[in-house]
Parts: sequence; C-alpha cells; structure tokens
Amino acid sequence: MSGLELFALLPVLVLALGATGLLMVGAWWPDRKALLFCGIAIALVAAVLAGGAAPPVTDIAGMFSAGPYARFFAILWSMLAALTLLLSGRYAEDQDFPAGEFPSLLLFAAAGMILLSSATSLIGMFLGLESFTLTLYILIAIDKKSSQGTEAGLKYLVMGIVATGFLGFGMALIYAATGSFQLPDAFQLLEKSGELRPIGLLGWAMLLSAIGFKISLVPFHLWTPDVYQGAPAPISAVLSTGSKGAVLAVLVTVMVGIPATLLDSLAPLLWALSAGSMVVGTICALRQKNLKRMLAYSSTVHMGLVLGALLAGGEIGWGAVVFYVVVYTVANLGAFGVLSSFSMRGGEPQDYRELYGVGYHHPRRSTALAVFLLSLAGIPPTAGFIGKFGIFHALLKADLFGLALIGILTALVSVYYYLRPIIILFMAKERSVCLHQGNDAELAVIGVCMLAILLLGLYPGPLFDLIAAIIP
Amino acid sequence: MSEHLLSLITFFPLLGMIVLLFIPRDNDGVLKGLTLVFTLITFFISLPLAFNDVFKTSAAMQYKEFVPWISIGDYFQMNYHVGIDGISLWLVMLTTFIMPIAVLSTWQSVTKNVKGFMALLLLLETGMLGAFISLDLFLFYFYWELMLIPMYFLIGIWGGAKRIYSAIKFFIYTAVGSLLMLVAIIFVYYYALQSGMPFEQGFSVLHFYDLNIPAETQTWLFLAFAFSFAIKVPMFPVHTWLPDAHTDAPTAGSVILAAILLKMGTYGYVRFAMPLFPDALQMFLPYLALLAVIGIIYGALVAMVQEDVKRLVAYSSVSHLGFVMLGIFALNIQGMAGGMIQMINHGISTGALFLIVGFIYERRHTRQIADFGGLAKRMPVFATIFLIVTFSSIGLPGTNGFVGELLIMVGAFESELRWFTVFAATGVIFAAVYMLWMFQRVMFGECKNPANQDLQDLTVREIVLMLPLLVFIFWIGIFPNVFFDKMNPSLENLIDQIKGKQQVAVVEQVNLPARNQD
Repeated sequence: MSGLELFALLPVLVLALGATGLLMVGAWWPDRKALLFCGIAIALVAAVLAGGAAPPVTDIAGMFSAGPYARFFAILWSMLAALTLLLSGRYAEDQDFPAGEFPSLLLFAAAGMILLSSATSLIGMFLGLESFTLTLYILIAIDKKSSQGTEAGLKYLVMGIVATGFLGFGMALIYAATGSFQLPDAFQLLEKSGELRPIGLLGWAMLLSAIGFKISLVPFHLWTPDVYQGAPAPISAVLSTGSKGAVLAVLVTVMVGIPATLLDSLAPLLWALSAGSMVVGTICALRQKNLKRMLAYSSTVHMGLVLGALLAGGEIGWGAVVFYVVVYTVANLGAFGVLSSFSMRGGEPQDYRELYGVGYHHPRRSTALAVFLLSLAGIPPTAGFIGKFGIFHALLKADLFGLALIGILTALVSVYYYLRPIIILFMAKERSVCLHQGNDAELAVIGVCMLAILLLGLYPGPLFDLIAAIIP
Repeated sequence: MSEHLLSLITFFPLLGMIVLLFIPRDNDGVLKGLTLVFTLITFFISLPLAFNDVFKTSAAMQYKEFVPWISIGDYFQMNYHVGIDGISLWLVMLTTFIMPIAVLSTWQSVTKNVKGFMALLLLLETGMLGAFISLDLFLFYFYWELMLIPMYFLIGIWGGAKRIYSAIKFFIYTAVGSLLMLVAIIFVYYYALQSGMPFEQGFSVLHFYDLNIPAETQTWLFLAFAFSFAIKVPMFPVHTWLPDAHTDAPTAGSVILAAILLKMGTYGYVRFAMPLFPDALQMFLPYLALLAVIGIIYGALVAMVQEDVKRLVAYSSVSHLGFVMLGIFALNIQGMAGGMIQMINHGISTGALFLIVGFIYERRHTRQIADFGGLAKRMPVFATIFLIVTFSSIGLPGTNGFVGELLIMVGAFESELRWFTVFAATGVIFAAVYMLWMFQRVMFGECKNPANQDLQDLTVREIVLMLPLLVFIFWIGIFPNVFFDKMNPSLENLIDQIKGKQQVAVVEQVNLPARNQD
C-alpha cells in the first residue's frame, strides 16, 4: 500500500488512530467530558478531511474506493458519529459508561461503516462489515448494570456470528466460481463460469442472507426488536441508521456492477425479500406497545422498501436509495435522540404507557419526535415524503407494480403505528411524571435533525443533484 | 406586489404561526388576539381578488406565479405554480372569510394549550389556501397532505369524548385516498412526458389538460382520483368518517372541516378528476350520480333520526354535498354554477350551524336534542339567528340555499341525469323535515328542563361572529349574480373542455372500425 493510498484513506485513519488514542488516554485520565469532546472533534475532523482533502488516487489496494461516492458516506457516517457522541454525553454519564472506551468504540464503528460504504471488493466488504459489527457487539452491552443490554449484546453476537459465517462462506463460493474478489468482476465473470455458475449463485444467496441479517430483512429480522430494546438509546440510533445505511451503500455499488443476466436470476429472491419485509414488518409493528420495538419493526419495512428500489435500479433507483438512506438516518437519529434525551438515570422511557401526556411537559421535544415519526411515515412537508416519492417513482418506472402496490399499502398501514405514539404523547388525559429536561447538547442534535428533515422535505433538489453526480 | 399576491395570502398565516411560536405559552389572550389579527389581515389582503373584474370576462388563470421548486436530475421537475380562476376564486375567499370567524369562536371554548391550537389553525389555513391555488399537481398533493396533520391534531387533542378514534379514522380514510392519487399523479406525469410535454412544466395541470390519454388508462387514473376526492367530499359509501370527525372535533375544527375541507373533494373533481379524464367521467357518470343521490337521501334520512344536534348537522352535510356533486355532474352551466355556489352556501350555512351548536354546547355541555326545549323564550336573539340559518340550510327562497339547490335541480333535470333529479328532489323535503323538526324540539315548546331556565342569550362576541355569515346568507340569496358573473367564464370554459374532449373520443371510436375495414 503506497503513501498515496494511505493519504486517500485519511478520514478512516483519523478515526481509527483517534479512537486508539482516546482508548490509551482514557486508561490513565478517565475524564469523561474531555474525552467525549475529543471524540467529537476527531469525528468532525474526519468529516472535514473527507470533504476537503481531495484523494490523490481513487482506488485503494483494489479493495476500497476513495471516489466521491465513498467520500459522501465518509462525511455522513463521521457526522453520525459526532452527533451520536454529542447526544450521549449525559446518557453516558448517567449510566456510568466507561469514559474512554465509549467514544473510542463509536469512532471505530464509524471507521468501519466508512470502510464498508467505500468497499469495491468482497474482501473490503467483509473487513468493513466485521470491523463495525465487532464494536457494536460491545457497545450494545456497554451498560454493564443492564441485564437487557447484556442479553441484547449476546443476541446480536450470536446472530452476527452466524451471519459472518454465511458471508465468509458465500464469498468463498463466489471466489471459487469466478476467481476474483473485485466487485464488478466477481459478478461479471460468474456469467462465464459455465458449470461453476450454480456454485456462484449459491454463494450469492449466502451473501444475501448475511446482508439480510445485517439490515434485518424478513426472515432474518428476529433479533432486531430485542436488540433495539436492550441497547442504550444512542447505540440503538447507530444500529438503526449507520449499520444499515452502510450496508445499503455498498449494496448500491454491488448492484451498479451486476450484469443483467445475473440480476434476472436473483430478482425473484430480492423481490421476495423486499415484499416479505414490508408485509411482515408492518404486521408486527402494528402490535407494538414499545417505541423502540416499533421502530425496529418499522426499520424492517423501510429496508424492504429500499431493497425494492435497489432491485428497480437505474440512476433513479440508486439515487432514490441513497436519498432515502440519508433521510432515514436523520429521522431515526432524531427519534432515538429524543428518547435518549428523555432518559433518566437508570432507565429510558420506551413503553407507550410511560409516554402518556409527555407532550404537555416537554412540548418542543415531543413535537420534534412527532416530526421524525411523520417523516418515517412519509407525510409532507417532511423529507420522508420526498424519499418515499423517489422510491415509488423508481418502482413504477421499473415496472415493479407489485412491489409498488405493497409499498403503498404498507405505507398506508404504517400511518397507524406511527401516529399512535404521537397520539399518546399529546392526546392522553393521563399526565405522566416529568421526564428528564434534556441538556443543550441533546437539544442541539434534535434541532439539527429536525431542521434537516424539514429542509430536505421542502428543498430536496440539491441533495438529489449531488447524489446523481456521485453514484459510481 | 400583485404578482405575488397569492403567495402573500397563502404564507401570511404561516408567518403568523411562526410569530406565535415565539410567544410564551401562558398568554392566552395575546395568542388568540394575534391569531385573529393574522387571519383578519389575510382576509383583507385577499379582498382585491374578489373585486377584480377580470374574472367576469376571462377564463384564464390569473395572478399566476411560476418558480422552479424541486428538480431531480432529468426525471422530475416540480414547480411552485399557482394561480386562480373563477372556480377557485370563491373558495379562496371562503377560506379567508371563515378563518377569522372560526378563531373568534374559540374565545371561550379553547382553554388548554391555546398556543398549539392557534398555531395549528394558522398552519391549516396555509395548507387549505395552498391547495386551492395550486396549478402543479405535485404542489397540490403536498398541500393536500399538509392539511391533514393540523386537522388530525385539532380533533385528536382538543376534541370530544371519542376524539382519538375519530382522529385516526379521519386520518386513515383520507390517507388511503391520497396515496392512490399520488400513484395516479405519477402516471399522468409520465404520460405527459412521453407525449412531449416540456420538462420544465413539471406537473402543470394546465398542460395535463391538453393530453389525450387513452380511455382504458383514463379509467384507472380517474378511479384513483375520484376515490380520493370522494372520501373527502364525502360521498356515500365512504362518508362514515365524517359524522365521527365532526362530532368529536372542537367547534372551530367542525366549522373549518365543514366549510372548507369538504370543499377540497368537490373542488378536486372540478379542477382535476373531471377535466383530466373526460372519457372515464362519461363512463362513470351515471354511477357517480347514483352515489350522489343515494348520499342525498341517505344522509337526510339518517339525519332525521339523530339525537345529537352535531351529528344531525354532520349527516345533513352528507346530504348537501350530494347535491353539490349532482350539480357538478350535470355538466351544464346551470348545474355547475349551482354546484359551485352550493359549495359556498354549504360553507356558510353549515359553518353557522356548527357555531350555533357550539354556542349551546358551551352553555349546557350537552348536545342531545332531548335535553333542550323552549329555548326560544330564554334566548330570543339566538332563536332568530338559528331560524335564519335553518332556513338557509333548508333552502328557503330569499336565502342562499334556495339559489344553489334550484340551479342544481334545473341543471340536472336538463342533463342526462333527469331521473336522478326526481329522486334528489325528495332530499329537499327531507331536509325541511329534519331541520325544522330539530328546531322545533330545541327551541319551541315549554322549557321543562330546569337547567335551561336561566340560559344567557348570545354575547356581543357571538353576535358579531354570526353577523357576517347572516349577511352572506341574504346577499347570495338575493343578489347571486355578483358571484355567478365571476364564475361563469371559467365554468363555461371547463364544460367546453370536458365535452369537447368527449366528442373527440366519440369521433375516434367511430372512425376506428372504418380504418380496420380498409
């Protein structure tokens, strides 16, 4: 790996080295506030470098890209890390998280997500995916006093390891059939591999199952609600946004290079995964009485919808996917942000009955939560509407009428389960006890997310143009 | 200034909402006063529209504004494209006119979380005005959905006993229709692009009017639009959300819902569903007219047996809106003009009725007809106003209701809907029955219930807010031409547009077999 390539990898290096530094310093000077502040600064520096320092080469060791597409996600995930850290300052203090490890692990996770989003080979994909999943195992269970957190961590670990096994074996089979790890080649050569093609296809199926685990597609979604529920709210935010968005980002790279004949073989599988996720996720979400579990099932629905747009493909489809990922990330970060700002020492309100009438005590944050939920439901003037519009547009353009119909019906039903918490916040007669007042940092994060949601809802043009320009 | 007048009118309430957000929560008086001021100013700056004589001669869109808004690569272009003609003019005026009255009606009745209530009212006004002036279908959809959210909260937070149930029902019914409409909008857009519409025009409905969509495609698109608007109107059998929403909404919410939101549905037919898909309209016209007539009679019959005054008024809306639809479906100038003026009439009369129900509810905290009786002696001013409004709702000559219903009947009778008209006419009789019977039970007879003995008559505020409505009841009743003059050019143009395209389609159908024989 040459010096130029290292320089092209700079944002990731800053994150990884910064995280290591934090870990070291934290061992001797466990000053929580200062370390957290450093973590935020490192993430912001990484974001600035990703946006400002033009990479001298765009291909890094044949594994990762440093092109504009990769850099876009580098900025996005660095910002996610910075905002999550800002959000979790008080939370970490109240629940007594380890001072150095927490920010350090979050930065590592961000580095892993960036690597995954910029992967251009199967090896790069594997490395990126594993490096952030590994840190998430720890982060989910970082609250040592919480038995639910430990359970969630273990659950995610077991499921994750199975998924890793599938991923590794699937990649091995693809390599066996094609002799290449390079992303377009590994699939294009499959068509010329003659009698090895079935083996390659089997590898593909395994790879898809592993990805299904990571972005919780039906039938691999069962871990999601438990893990969301058990993990600390800021970590659930990362789990539901970055860890899924990064996988989707690399899936776009995969789908761009996939030959039409292979896509035809895989289309029924993708179709079924997409439709199944939307339908089952919706049905399960309807019954939830816990905000985090509801968001978990709803994320399955969103992922199904995005998978449909990936299948639709074309510049419209990929553009819609990336836009949707951004919007979904902002809305989910905001929603979990409100939850963690409500949290008290020793617990966070998740059950609907703990949220009765909260809107009267905390009108600003409750309004923000309502906006985020309305955005997830896809109602104007929020950005979620434009995102859904883009995806339906892509589905209709690609003649995927079945998926479009399922998408619309599930979007319709989703209105019910997104409105329910809003009702409970504002409309119940019972007044619950006051929740935490929240501090400025948390309010700032929520404010940024809300502003982004409304701005992208009213004026999404520039982001769409940007995305159209960077799609590989 | 005048080239941005429509935007000014639309966004002025939004400005008010933003101002309101900076007022501390407990200043109820200031909040209510400011909201009233903002809605009044909105009304005054909209007045030049009503006094502009250009509508008397021109059917074209006036006060047009066109600004590119969202563009997504080479695939999509949405514009901020607004304008009004004689059809939307009076609906815009109705909106700006009703809003101050609705705000004034909340003076006593809304006490909890006033800030939120007022902010939502102003947001709602922006949404409604925006929907009436949109000439870009995407923009229209945007405002259409935007209206839902404030209304949902108004019902759900400040509503009556079953408010949550009613609010969700309202939201889901409307959302079902609107998503179908969204798909249809995307389809029309593609069709327009394929048939050579300039990309920069976006979702401009003025360009969509010129399309010649094949009849089979029209069928599906029309059904999606018609279904969405039918829910909003509401037409039988998708009207069931209305009685619940009305019953549980706060007075101001009911007034706005009845006076303006329901007009979105009928307006949607006139502006979008009918001129965009004339062939499909022709095919479905008898069925839709049948539903309208069923709505007229069914709404009236159900209203007759209601024991809750508010529910009675709600069902009477179903009946009245049936008349509006019948008039529009007549597709001639009398019917159309009757339908349009009846939209305004219904806004004024039913709005007034909901206010009246609000007055007695604030005094007695009940709306059951059986709890009242003999109020006329205790509240003479109230009785007079109530009687005038009742007459207007029944359609007594001299009041606005008469003009609308008569024109609708004449128009429908002259069209191919003659037999439907015969049945619809019974609705007028039923209306007299249920309204007068209710009036008699509430106002006349002996005042037996001791709780009603010392009821206060209307306050000055209440009289002031009813007066403008009474003025318009007689104004439209006696000098309706002031309103028709500005409506007719646009309506004639619309009828020509629909009928012209239908004839083209007929000619093509006749020609097709001939070509095959060659």
